[in-house]
Amino acid sequence: MSKFFKETLYDAVCQEFRVDKMYFENKTDHQHLMIFHNAQLGRVMTLDGVVQTTEADEFIYHEMMAHVPILAHGKAKRVLIIGGGDGGMLREVVKHRVEHVTQVEIDQAVVDMAKEYLPRHSNGAYDDPRLNLVIADGMDFVKSHAEHCINHEDEKFDIIISDSTDPIGPGEVLFSDNFYALAKNCLHDDGIMTTQNGVPFFQKDEIQNTYQRMGTQFSDIGFYVAPVPTYYGGFMTFAWGTNSKARDIKRASLRERFNAAKLGTRYYNPDIHKAAFALPQYIINAIDEVRSE
Amino acid sequence: MIAPSTNRTITYTTDASQQQDYAALVEKHGSPLLVYSADILKRQYQSLNNALPDVDIYYAVKAHPNAAIINTIDELGGGFDIASAGEMDLLLEQKISGRRTIHTHPIKKDQEIRDALRFGATTFVVDNIDELKKLIPYKSRVGILLRLSFRSKNAKIDLSKKFGCDLLEAEEITLEAEKLGLHIKGFSFHVGSQCESPSKHVEAIEACHQLMLKLNNILKQPLSTLDIGGGFPADYSLSGFDIDAFCQPINDALQKLPRDWHLLAEPGRYLVAPSVTSITTISGKSLRHGIRWYYLDDGVYGSYSGQIFDHTNYPLQIPRTGETYPSIIAGPTCDSIDIVAEDIALPELQIGDLIIGLQMGAYTAATKTRFNSLPDAKFISI
Repeated sequence: MSKFFKETLYDAVCQEFRVDKMYFENKTDHQHLMIFHNAQLGRVMTLDGVVQTTEADEFIYHEMMAHVPILAHGKAKRVLIIGGGDGGMLREVVKHRVEHVTQVEIDQAVVDMAKEYLPRHSNGAYDDPRLNLVIADGMDFVKSHAEHCINHEDEKFDIIISDSTDPIGPGEVLFSDNFYALAKNCLHDDGIMTTQNGVPFFQKDEIQNTYQRMGTQFSDIGFYVAPVPTYYGGFMTFAWGTNSKARDIKRASLRERFNAAKLGTRYYNPDIHKAAFALPQYIINAIDEVRSE
Repeated sequence: MIAPSTNRTITYTTDASQQQDYAALVEKHGSPLLVYSADILKRQYQSLNNALPDVDIYYAVKAHPNAAIINTIDELGGGFDIASAGEMDLLLEQKISGRRTIHTHPIKKDQEIRDALRFGATTFVVDNIDELKKLIPYKSRVGILLRLSFRSKNAKIDLSKKFGCDLLEAEEITLEAEKLGLHIKGFSFHVGSQCESPSKHVEAIEACHQLMLKLNNILKQPLSTLDIGGGFPADYSLSGFDIDAFCQPINDALQKLPRDWHLLAEPGRYLVAPSVTSITTISGKSLRHGIRWYYLDDGVYGSYSGQIFDHTNYPLQIPRTGETYPSIIAGPTCDSIDIVAEDIALPELQIGDLIIGLQMGAYTAATKTRFNSLPDAKFISI
């Protein structure tokens, strides 16, 4: 067993974590999954040489991806999470007074493993009675659910959160034109979709691809940002797609909703929410490059 | 007693204790066998490391894609030169990080690039513009080595025929890469396998050195990596190959490079050839037209496949001495090409005698076939 984990994303730079205790390591179906303890970061989960989540900073990612769309929407009743097997997203979603959450995870083993080795992520959320956990491919799910919704409008979702792995790897299909189109057909007209979209300082192409592909489905397509320290490279982007005006929500309304929800956040607050949509110029430039095409 | 034939070394021995050791292995594990010694691999690795102290060693997994061998290299802290998804899977099974690998196949499908990135290999090799352009979608993640071709007359296997660009093309491709926003971090070359002399290595290092310096005056991102490939020979003649002497001129050439350049090598054969010994059993014999035929339980479709694909005649050790007769040693398949050694003079051998193949770690089991549905030689570690 190696005593250090070196991330394998980039040839010329990499972040290195000391492995203080290995809790879990396996490789199945061409995947290499590890959960280990690091003195600075707590438990760390890596997949195929890339950091997926750490106990120390996961709150930034999960709070921003769950609370931004749900509070912007204001009356979300039904939420769909694609991926998110570690349970952190579900934990944040069920803090809201939503009526129903469907989570689609491709592998039951990921859920079981996370409950055992990353228990603070889900923190009991997998026992929430509002949850329908579906073990299926996210693409297959949105395809069949979109068909189902043709005659069951009420089973559409208000919020879809795609908490996927990176586009090079098992999550590849969740960054395709087809996925965004089908997901939109699972959303109510005023629904909001958010997806994790990488670190554009190093992965400019990911926001460009998403902008082009997701942009065909929504009148309001864009990104908001948050710095997640162990997603090396500065701001992480979240893609935001909706046909509503939810982006323009007034700060005062957000504050009301935030105060009422009593979320107990550590990163998210209404000011951060509004500010997160202000993009650094290098991200705007990257989007402009493909906008003019 | 060593009797060098024109192209193969045959040793005749009646060393009783050695015979007993081989017999004991066959008694325990059956026949045929490939017997692996991690100690010998470690010795080879250290020798090469000492001979080229500034060069990081990346074991060419293709030479012998085997878990035990990979684990030894891992233990030694070595890297891995990989060229296929199968090799990545083998490393993944041993929990080796892609960070410790370089992907050296000059021609790749897009899916192979994605699989390699997912595995964690970020160094890729190209030798032409089309191949370079395949890396554009991944340009923020990859480091690229440009493979140059230096044809070698004295290498047994010419690895610069199929792949590699010439110096002029290298200059064009490097400059084109910069226009495309791709970073070529350095050059690589393969002067050949089983080189008789290091002169081609030296020539290639000097040529790369000059071109890299010239280009570094123009480029925004400097070239700073040189991968000198492999070519370090195995001692198939058992004549006592001196790796220090072979590497001295290479080392001298490398010493002239800027001290902050990264130096890599991709040895396979030199490392693993002596670490594996083949044991086969004579399962039948016949006297045909005055020639003694001996039939082994392993042959050129199995462990001796390198005699076909790698053009190597492995040194054989024969367990008897005495008066010799014109003889042929053949493999177990029904094909007449399955001849391990012919035109050789051997003492009268008996059914059950063990024939030992030496220096059989590289490009042997790696290229075995399934012909005749015969079982593989069993791989054991001692």
